[in-house]
Amino acid sequence: MIKFLNPSYIFHLTGKILNFIKIFIIPIIVIGIIFSLFVSPKDYIQGDVARIMYVHVPSAWISLLCFALISFFCILNFIFKIKSISLIYKSLAPIGLTFNFISIFTGSLWGQPTWGTWWAWDARLTSMLILMFFYIIFIFSYKFITNPQKSSKICASISVLGLINLIIIKYSVNWWSTLHQPSSINLVGETTVHFSMLIPLGIMLFGFLLYTALIFLMKYRIETIRVKKRGLKKL
Amino acid sequence: MNLNVFLMNGYGIYVWSSFLLTFLVCLFLFLKTRKTLKKLEKDFIKETQSLSQQQLKDIKKQKIAKEILVSHSRT
Repeated sequence: MIKFLNPSYIFHLTGKILNFIKIFIIPIIVIGIIFSLFVSPKDYIQGDVARIMYVHVPSAWISLLCFALISFFCILNFIFKIKSISLIYKSLAPIGLTFNFISIFTGSLWGQPTWGTWWAWDARLTSMLILMFFYIIFIFSYKFITNPQKSSKICASISVLGLINLIIIKYSVNWWSTLHQPSSINLVGETTVHFSMLIPLGIMLFGFLLYTALIFLMKYRIETIRVKKRGLKKL
Repeated sequence: MNLNVFLMNGYGIYVWSSFLLTFLVCLFLFLKTRKTLKKLEKDFIKETQSLSQQQLKDIKKQKIAKEILVSHSRT
C-alpha cells in the first residue's frame, strides 16, 4: 500500500498510464463523433440541434466532477498538510475550467435555436457561470500566492464555497422555474433519454474522461518537475 | 451525397460549431500542456548539466529525476 503513495512510484505510473491512454483516446473519440453526428437519431422535438448534447452534457459533468475532486483534495490538504495533494488539485483546475467554458459556450449555441436567445440569467446558467469564476479565482490563488500555507488555506476556502455552488447547480432546475430543462439522466430516478442516444453520450463521456485523465497526468508531471527543479536550485 | 447530413435541417451551423469549438479548445489545451511539459523536461536536463559530478550522481539516485532524464531522452 505504501508503494502506491510513494511519489516516485506515482510519477513512474503516470508515464505508463499516459502511454496507455494515448493509444485508445483517438479511436474512442472518433467513434463517439460518428455515433453522435451520424448514427444517433434526431430528437423528436428539437431535431438535429439536440446533437449538441453529446459535447455539452459530458463537458458540464466533467467540469462539476473536477471541482468536486478539487474540493475534496483541498480539504484533505488543509487537514493533513500533504504536499503532493496540492499537485493533484493544481493539475485538475485547468481541465475543469476548460470543460466549464465548453459547456457554457455549447449551451449558448444550443440555446439560440431552442430558446431564441444565446444567454439568459437563468439559475442553471448563472450558477455555471459562477462556477467559472470560482475556477478562475482558484487558479489565480495558487498561481499568485507564493506562501504555500496561505495559498492552501485560501484554496480550501474557495473550494468549500464552490462546493455550495455545485449543490446549487445540481438542484437549480428543481428549486427555480428555469429555461434549462430538468436532468434527463438520473442514477437513482428515471432516465428519460432513449437508449439509442445514451450510447453515443456514454462513448463521448468516456472519451472526454480519457482526455481529462491525459491532461491531468501531463499536468501532474509538470507540477512534479517544477518541484524537482526547485530542489535542484537548493543543491 | 446527402447534403442534409451536414446542413442538419438548418441547425448544422450550431451543431458543427459546438463540436468544432470543443475539439479546438481541447486540442489547444493538449498542445499547450505538452509544450510546457517538454520545455520543463528540457530545462531540468539543462540545469542538471551545470551540476558537479557528485551532485549529478546524487540526483540520479532519485527515481523521479532519473525518469525525467530518461523519458526526455526517449522523445
